[in-house]
Amino acid sequence: MSKIAIISQPDQGVLIDVGGCASMQEAISHLSSTLQVSSQFWKGVNVALNLGDLELTSAQVAHILALAKGVGVYPYQVFAQRPLTRGALLENGVTLGDGTPMTLPAMTMKVPENPEIEEDWEDESVNISDDEPGVSIFYEPSENQLITDDVTDDLTDRPDGPIDFEPKAQKAPKAAKTEKTPAPSDKKEEVKGPVQAGVMYLRQTLRSGQTVSHQGHIVIIGDVNPGGEVVAEGDITVWGALRGIARAGVGGNNEAEIRALRLQPIQIRIGDAFARSPDRNRLHYDVHNGPETARIVDGKIKVFKFSPQ
Amino acid sequence: MSGRVIVITSGKGGVGKTTASANIGVALANTGASVCLVDMDIGLRNLDILMGLENRVVYNLVDVVEERCKLRQALVKDKRMPNLSLLPAAQTRDKTAVNAEQMKKLCEELKSMFDFVLVDSPAGIESGFQNAIAGAEEAIVITTPEMSAVRDADRIIGLLEAQKDQITQYRLVLNRLRPKMVANSDMMGVEDVLEILSVKLLGVVPEDEEIIISTNKGEPVSGTDNTRSGLAFRNIARRLRGEEVPFMDLDVKNDTWVTRIVNFFNPVRV
Repeated sequence: MSKIAIISQPDQGVLIDVGGCASMQEAISHLSSTLQVSSQFWKGVNVALNLGDLELTSAQVAHILALAKGVGVYPYQVFAQRPLTRGALLENGVTLGDGTPMTLPAMTMKVPENPEIEEDWEDESVNISDDEPGVSIFYEPSENQLITDDVTDDLTDRPDGPIDFEPKAQKAPKAAKTEKTPAPSDKKEEVKGPVQAGVMYLRQTLRSGQTVSHQGHIVIIGDVNPGGEVVAEGDITVWGALRGIARAGVGGNNEAEIRALRLQPIQIRIGDAFARSPDRNRLHYDVHNGPETARIVDGKIKVFKFSPQ
Repeated sequence: MSGRVIVITSGKGGVGKTTASANIGVALANTGASVCLVDMDIGLRNLDILMGLENRVVYNLVDVVEERCKLRQALVKDKRMPNLSLLPAAQTRDKTAVNAEQMKKLCEELKSMFDFVLVDSPAGIESGFQNAIAGAEEAIVITTPEMSAVRDADRIIGLLEAQKDQITQYRLVLNRLRPKMVANSDMMGVEDVLEILSVKLLGVVPEDEEIIISTNKGEPVSGTDNTRSGLAFRNIARRLRGEEVPFMDLDVKNDTWVTRIVNFFNPVRV
């Protein structure tokens, strides 16, 4: 995994996370190579920076800020854990962020209030869901052995009721299925802003213990192995085998879908619904049903064969 | 209620800590006690797979410690036995996600809910091990009859002895013994291991292919009859509850055609 993470946050821009770097030198070399990918890319983007556990002096902070300034990046917020670093940031006149910017896997991101943008988004999602066509005609039910029946009991059986994610800072993107609309070119113009920008595209296999979490849709070109976890507020699409855990529609978006070339997950969750694999540990993964889609029908997760039209 | 917190540890990896934890847990639950298995191998969790509960894990130990959920929410009830629960480890974090203080507090809480709290320690002697023993009052040291495993078990016992005030009792489980190899002097026997470690023996578990089958099924052997390893784990559970149980006869020296016929009709000997 790379030492530097860029996490897009549809409502507030981009978080650059250098917290994984061991030293100041490493952080600066990673940061400068990342920033200088394309100066055009950063134009007009709101950037927050996470320095994690790095211990930096005032001069080092100034150096990093100058580096960012060179490509037109002015972080509106900087997160840091070490008191020394925080002091150095204040000396440089930087706005400090509270706590840690993002904790995986649950999305506990500190979202600064930005009522203007939020309103825009809400309007837009209403528009889109109005034109949304029915999608069931694309799929036929297949016999995937996911178990949904007793699971609901399992979870409500817990003394504290079914699982709740952290209260969300804004409304779920209702426009979860926008990409599937036949999308004539004039329509494309309508679909803009956070929904489209909110797709995370990942070209790697997610191995055990690795997590991806994103506030929009996630597309993974690769496998998700058992023990790997994908968490999205929108859809999850795996161009490969989904064998770990997938949570789509986190925050209550029951319209979200999970699809994979091989849908062999340990657990999937869509919005408030939950499904798990059968109880015997899986020894053979080569038996599969081909591309499948999971979505909620009548409050339960159902799996459908994906067939090209 | 104040239960007993027992850490299961070994130093060396791959000697059967997690297998022993699952099996002793199931066997204890079979005796009627309420049992909680705690997987402390954060980042490399396996206990849920052995228990066949992987697909039911929603929250984990780190979620509890970081107060993202209540302890009761994270406990996964066993499919077969309602008096057996699992507190799974986090897979997406590492050993530094918790500290000894937090583990102590967690064990205190679990102790008030269960008769037995079995903590499955990670391999090694670093922070993961230190966290695992932090809340424990007793320890079960697992070793196999191999020089390297015994050497590491000895190191662990030394570390446990240094915590004498907290860990009042530690006993040994000798795992994966092959009686035939011992008879041929190709493997250390029970006496050889005890000679080095001079520690109280809690049980001897013979090598058994059934363990692999049970792992794949997600059903620990001690929950089923007719396996020698399962019987060994059930005996360990009975000894933990204070019963005097004679050790299994794993000797092969009286391996004559008469004993073979007797064994054929009575495959599990006590």
